[in-house]
Amino acid sequence: MGMRDYILRRAFSCVITIFAVITINFFLFRVMPANPVDILVSPLQGMERLSQSVREQMIKDLGLDKPLWEQYIFYLKDVLTGNFGKSFIVPRNVLDIIGERFVNTMVLMFTGNVVSIFLAIVLGVIAAWKRGGKFDISSLISALTLSSMPMFWVGGIILLIFSVRLDWFPLYGTVSIGARHANFFEYIADYGHHLILPAITTALVNFGGLFLIMRSSLLDVFTEDYIQTSRAIGIQNRTIIFKNALRNAMLPLITIVAIRLGFMVSGAVLTETVFSWPGLGLTIYNSVNTRDYPVLQGIFLIITIIVVLTNFIADVIYGYADPRIRVGTNSRG
Amino acid sequence: MIKITETKLSFYKKRIKSFVGRFLESRLGLIGVFILVFFIFISVFANYLSSYPISATKGNPRDRLLPPNRKYLLGTDEMGRDLATQIMYGGRISLAVGFLAAIISGVIGTAVGLAAGYFRGRVEDLFMRITDIILVIPGLPLMIVLAAILGTSFWNIILVISVIGWTGTARVVRAQVLSLKERPFIESVKAIGASDFRILLYHLLPNVFPLIVAQMVLRIGNAILTEASLSFLGLGDPTIISWGMILHWAFSVGALSANYWWYIIPPGICITLVALGFTFVGYALDQIVNPRMRMR
Amino acid sequence: MLLDVKDLKTYFETRSGYVKAVDNISLDMERGDVLGLAGESGCGKTTTMLAIMRLLPSNGRVLNGSIHLDGLDLLNMEEEQLRQDVRWKKLSMVFQGAMNALNPVFRVGDQLVQAIRVHENVNKEKALKRVEELFTLVGIDPKRATNYPHEFSGGMKQRAVIALSLICNPDLLIADEPVTALDVIVQAQILELIRDLRDKLGLSMIMITHDLSVIADVCNKAAIMYAGKIVEKGDIVTVFKHPEHPYSQGLLTNYPSIKGGKTKFKPIKGRPPNLIQPPPGCRFHPRCPYAMDICKKEEPEMVELEGGHFISCHLKTR
Repeated sequence: MGMRDYILRRAFSCVITIFAVITINFFLFRVMPANPVDILVSPLQGMERLSQSVREQMIKDLGLDKPLWEQYIFYLKDVLTGNFGKSFIVPRNVLDIIGERFVNTMVLMFTGNVVSIFLAIVLGVIAAWKRGGKFDISSLISALTLSSMPMFWVGGIILLIFSVRLDWFPLYGTVSIGARHANFFEYIADYGHHLILPAITTALVNFGGLFLIMRSSLLDVFTEDYIQTSRAIGIQNRTIIFKNALRNAMLPLITIVAIRLGFMVSGAVLTETVFSWPGLGLTIYNSVNTRDYPVLQGIFLIITIIVVLTNFIADVIYGYADPRIRVGTNSRG
Repeated sequence: MIKITETKLSFYKKRIKSFVGRFLESRLGLIGVFILVFFIFISVFANYLSSYPISATKGNPRDRLLPPNRKYLLGTDEMGRDLATQIMYGGRISLAVGFLAAIISGVIGTAVGLAAGYFRGRVEDLFMRITDIILVIPGLPLMIVLAAILGTSFWNIILVISVIGWTGTARVVRAQVLSLKERPFIESVKAIGASDFRILLYHLLPNVFPLIVAQMVLRIGNAILTEASLSFLGLGDPTIISWGMILHWAFSVGALSANYWWYIIPPGICITLVALGFTFVGYALDQIVNPRMRMR
Repeated sequence: MLLDVKDLKTYFETRSGYVKAVDNISLDMERGDVLGLAGESGCGKTTTMLAIMRLLPSNGRVLNGSIHLDGLDLLNMEEEQLRQDVRWKKLSMVFQGAMNALNPVFRVGDQLVQAIRVHENVNKEKALKRVEELFTLVGIDPKRATNYPHEFSGGMKQRAVIALSLICNPDLLIADEPVTALDVIVQAQILELIRDLRDKLGLSMIMITHDLSVIADVCNKAAIMYAGKIVEKGDIVTVFKHPEHPYSQGLLTNYPSIKGGKTKFKPIKGRPPNLIQPPPGCRFHPRCPYAMDICKKEEPEMVELEGGHFISCHLKTR
């Protein structure tokens, strides 16, 4: 049955990719830098430099004096059991830190990108249907301009206008510092209030590219023969657009969103930094500045694996959505 | 012998002429070229255009953080240095990083694409697998990790951007090679006895070349934006001024919350315009060069 | 008269100028006629059809002429009325490349149901029943209505598209290259189906094709187009057995007969003209072996030779 083979093939590919990613991560941090020891063993204990003998002991403990392939096996074991090590800066497990910040990033990415995707679809449809018209051209120019702006700069401008100048929104964080919330709803309201600007930034930053691709895909569909047939039959324009055409254009959209996932994550890193939004992106930024390598490595690995898994899920969804894959090309006349 | 060379020359002349002609038809392409020429001009002649010297330390501390006025066209930074000067000189680095990163990733991408498309089989599988894996990993986090490990310097940044950015070109080149391989002229050249290397270099490459150029132009804009992001995050070379670095310093001295808008807005506008310029030109080139695009 | 097209002029606006795709053509058909519209690629046959259906692309302009279908003025009708009363109900079509006329993400039966329910207020069951009837009529197993288009073979897709076009019992069916993309055996089957439908339903049709043998098979009238103009038209036997226009003669004498002896091909020299700057006078004159001086200056009028046989040529009409 076509569908099962398809899913199996994709799952296999997914697993291979995850393995490759883990391996790349291993080599990045152990083989590439001039002195891997500095990266894997914290140079400081508290405020003092570690003595040479203590460092040598730690090296032995971490198995860094063993041959590379042995280190790799240990590393694999660690990753698969969820042991990402401890932060250099704070005495906590990397995995715990990640777990804490994860939600904030998810909320931000979800809200921002849902808005972005929705707008890209609606505006893309209108622009493609009235191709060459005023709306099409102006939205094209806006999307092109937006996608040429540095992502962090967009956030900066928005903050400048709406927070610094107009004071409508807070400057950073998820909730106001030192605020006491009477109940859960107040908390959510405060959180939401803080969420708006970064979410708008996320939406703007991702909209440009998504719109351009959506419009292009819809233009392809609109010039297909079956759409012309629909018009010849006398089906109403609205039905043609939103039923016959859109259903076809959705397929590449799934693929495109999956491909742009990496781009969305990059945007999250920059946006969280600008807005001091305490998610994984901000944590990456901080860990780079404080040379907290275990945290950096851990977050990088986790988000990459999540992106690969999401791609796999998107592939499966695509398989169900496209009848040519779902039903397979088994029967003929 | 002379006759043969002559026709070759006139062959290329004709093609270049028609290409230029078609490019001039494209309004977007012309706007893009105009923008780019403007910024390149400013960057190259920065030392003539600016009345202030570019220096890491010499600023007038009494003139720190002034908004635009008659003396300082775009205001000053936290050390009293003229921002307009910094922006002009900053263009040099931003553009240089963009060009170099695009060229390097273009070379890598072309090599990979040619090999994958021409040799097929396991070579192709391997290269395409690598391409897919790099594509799936989120770009900026990977570059951040690389930059953090390798250290921040002008060449490291270029290296980091190139190493990630060649995948798009590789895919496009491979697709083109696959379609070219079917054409009879490759078969006939092979029958004459040309070696693989010769075919790749003298027959396939010239045909793929216009496509590569269009890709590279688009990549330059991309690379400039990436450099800006990396610099902003503190991963740029601190001894160098680029537009991204200017923004980095702006944010780190709190220009945002203190409303030093002149420190934040102009560099961003420059980046946006230059990126747009390359996008326009790249798009115009792609229209001319890409056989698929020509239908629309 | 079922269809009356008079002096139709359809140009396309392009950056390099107007493409004179259809330049002053006139056609007419009675009920029960099957008109074959023949000519090379790019001669304007498809454009004529698109103009009749008012489905021209955005840069197409009908600059002159009238089209009357069963008394209705098609060119001046409101879009909404056209959509409700004419499209598919009186006038339907089978597009070129029917393979792609079916939407790949919907089941075939559902697509026909959608078309039915646009024009008739029936519930889904009734509509599905009609689909069953139609499938049987065109020779598809009704159980296949739940399949997707990619599960159909080329011939089946063609039948499905024909079924689709017959949903509302149209007065006129226009078929653009209905069998070109099919292999010879399937071609024969589809042509047989078309002949069947013609006889059973009394279907009036316009068959657009460059393949003259197809026209000979099903049509009773023929019109030959060249470079946006009709050069000869009349009933099928007259046109095919006694072609008078040099172009028609060139086309029709090039058919080798299985029965006859070996004959040399006499291809018409030259290529079809650029329609932005067509040759002055008679558009065929650069390729015509009998071209005279007047052919280079004056466009020939469409003149009736005898009994419904029309021709547009200076040689025969002086």
